[in-house]
Amino acid sequence: MQFRHEQLPNGLDVIAEVSEAAHSASLGFFVKTGARDETDAVSGVSHFLEHMVFKGTDQLSAEEINLRFDAMGASANAFTSEEDTVYYAAVLPEKQHEAVELLAAMMRPALRAEDFDTEKQVILEEIRMYDDQPPFGADDRCRAAYFGQHPLSRSVLGTVESITALPVEAMRDYHQRRYAPGNLVLAASGAVDFSALVASAQRLCGHWEPQPLTDRKAGVPAPLATATVDLITRQQAALEYAVRMSAGPAEDDDERFAAKLVAVVLGDDSGSRLYWDLIDSGLAEHAACHHHDFLDAGVFVTQLSCEADDTTALLERIVGIYTEATSGLDTAEVDQARNKLLSRVVLAGERPRQRLFSVGLEWSHLGRYRSVADDLATLDGLSRDDLHRVLTRWPLTETAATVLAGPLDAAATTG
Amino acid sequence: MQQKLQTATLDNGITLLGEFLPGVESVSVSFHVPAGGICDSIIGSETGRSCCGLATLTGELMLRGAGSRNSRELVADLDNAGVQWSQAVSMSHGSFAGAMVARQLPEALPLYADILRRPTLADDQFEPAQQVILQNLAGTEDEPAHRTMLALRQAHLPSPWGMPSEGLSADVAALTAADGRGFVDRFIQPEGMIVSVAGRIDWPAFVEQMQQLFGDWRGHTLPAVTTGPRGPRVLHVPYDSQQTHVALAWSVPPYRDPESLKVTAAIAVLGGGSSSRLFTEVREKRGLCYSVSAGYQTHRDLATAIAYSGTTAERAQETLDVMLAEIDRLPGTITADELDRVKARAKSGLVMQQESTAARAGAMARQWYHLGRVRTLAEDLERLDQLTVSEIETWLATNRPADLTVVSLGRDPLEVPDAVSA
Repeated sequence: MQFRHEQLPNGLDVIAEVSEAAHSASLGFFVKTGARDETDAVSGVSHFLEHMVFKGTDQLSAEEINLRFDAMGASANAFTSEEDTVYYAAVLPEKQHEAVELLAAMMRPALRAEDFDTEKQVILEEIRMYDDQPPFGADDRCRAAYFGQHPLSRSVLGTVESITALPVEAMRDYHQRRYAPGNLVLAASGAVDFSALVASAQRLCGHWEPQPLTDRKAGVPAPLATATVDLITRQQAALEYAVRMSAGPAEDDDERFAAKLVAVVLGDDSGSRLYWDLIDSGLAEHAACHHHDFLDAGVFVTQLSCEADDTTALLERIVGIYTEATSGLDTAEVDQARNKLLSRVVLAGERPRQRLFSVGLEWSHLGRYRSVADDLATLDGLSRDDLHRVLTRWPLTETAATVLAGPLDAAATTG
Repeated sequence: MQQKLQTATLDNGITLLGEFLPGVESVSVSFHVPAGGICDSIIGSETGRSCCGLATLTGELMLRGAGSRNSRELVADLDNAGVQWSQAVSMSHGSFAGAMVARQLPEALPLYADILRRPTLADDQFEPAQQVILQNLAGTEDEPAHRTMLALRQAHLPSPWGMPSEGLSADVAALTAADGRGFVDRFIQPEGMIVSVAGRIDWPAFVEQMQQLFGDWRGHTLPAVTTGPRGPRVLHVPYDSQQTHVALAWSVPPYRDPESLKVTAAIAVLGGGSSSRLFTEVREKRGLCYSVSAGYQTHRDLATAIAYSGTTAERAQETLDVMLAEIDRLPGTITADELDRVKARAKSGLVMQQESTAARAGAMARQWYHLGRVRTLAEDLERLDQLTVSEIETWLATNRPADLTVVSLGRDPLEVPDAVSA
């Protein structure tokens, strides 16, 4: 695998991890914008805009975009998160140019008022869909509680109210500011012809006007003064769903690798401390711990789903497991978690689609490239002491924000 | 590219399938035992006691200790060998799979031999395993789309094929440790078992090791499954949710039927991809929903075309009406461009499958189960290339989608036209 990078004069980065062995090419525009870049007045605009990008340009209708992706056999989609909006297509290598041409055109959407009104209904459907299914908004609510005034507290979907009130002009303005060439990365992985990719980018994106860019970082969020517990009551739910957040390293902190290994030891889907205590025993439906990193913050997220009446006791039990971990991890469990992660890295490395997201987001956020070999070497180099240091600096037992969603109501939790 | 497909059969009836995939360092292996949810019904019809979920519970039990290893030691050995392992139970099979760096395969196979041949099934593991399955079932209660599909299958397919392989809570709660042991003794056996391996494989070494590990295992032929009646044509499941979920099903030929390629192509025109009829008419033009699609689900002897959408209660009726109209309009209107797009998408999918050893191992086993052979990539691509609009239309002309089953889940029932339910 070979890494390539070029920057166009207008600031657009073009990067690729080229793999001779791959059968396909994955391509994507990584836009450095998401919920954290919004204000209250436009809450949800990044995600709504992601939908509108598929509704066409001055030259292309929505139908033509869908027809062209399907005609090239592309597996094309997009997603929006707190920090990123990503548009991607996986295609056979001979379709590289066609795919780039279409994706690049889409980055300059028409944002027609009539399409905006129709698509608004689809967004509202998506909000209702998520509201109907676990964890019933507990993840959004928990991020809001944990991050407080920090921009990472914002919801990606927005609310029924914010979306209903959003005018098309506000989206046009947001697009103008956030989709400037210096704020985008064109990334590719797999069987990519990099020279052709750069040539395509120059021809298709070279004329995009640069815009002044602002620093997106807002600093480390203020620590929670006190632990918080919020409730979302859903009478019809069969189980209670809990989300708990406490501090962890941010993505520009090299401790993030050890933090991810800590999360695997403590809360991986199988073979972890939470798994053996809560899942293997049948006490809970799901119990897991992950580490998420953002530009200027990191969190350990604990998820639990179980019988409503067991929730409080099981959350205490989880904190007990975290407390026990601070007195030291076993070499055997650290090695087991490491072996599991090493295998995941190697297998993900064989899939251009998975590599696209790793390579694109790493460059988009940190302006650097990490190969599969880099990831393997970092994992191999982590010692038990590194994990203990993370557990000391960011104890999972520290003050956390917790949200419960399910049949429990206020009376049940205080009683 | 010359494809390297390999097959071998052990004396006891185990089929081995292999494919060398160039350019990968990994290998994936999957074991498919004909011990799926359908076996629950075999026991049920013999004993008169419903035990829906026993196959799934047994799959969970088998990973809780095998050979000389207890539950934790087994998982530790799999993890330390770098095996990304998984276990699943469908109606037809119990499956155990693993993906790993190729050099680990010889270390992993004995672990799978222990899981399949020497599961501990310790008494003290039964209750926690039962609780796990009951917890999982409670979790699916909260997934409206999933519940809709379960209700649709139960209504449309003849018993027992419409039963949920994941189980029914009341049945699972009544199972005992003896049921689990009895299931393993009877159904976890080599006859009809398929083991597929894809990636950087050393085929002769794999066959030799499999012979050593499984060659002396003896099995028996299982009784045939008798099918019973199906459920109602129109069904509403009351559920307090913002969205109403609508799912439709009609019967089509199974995968092994020579006509199935025409059928799957027609379904893809209707509801596969973002330029499909349903996506265009329901979501893009009318903004009625976030998700809408159509797909194909096959067993060996029967298959179903399924269309699904989730939408706000107030717009559910219009969504259903548009979906029914599009299904009705399909015969006689498929264009060459539409078929070309279906072919392009299918071709990409087939080629990209070669990049995932796990996907390829699974696909090979499925083809063997349905067809008794594995097609090469070139064969699959050629079949697609040769498919024409007129072949699809000729088939559709005499096999119009008919006798649809209509299931909704949400606050209010929908009006279903008589023509559909007749």
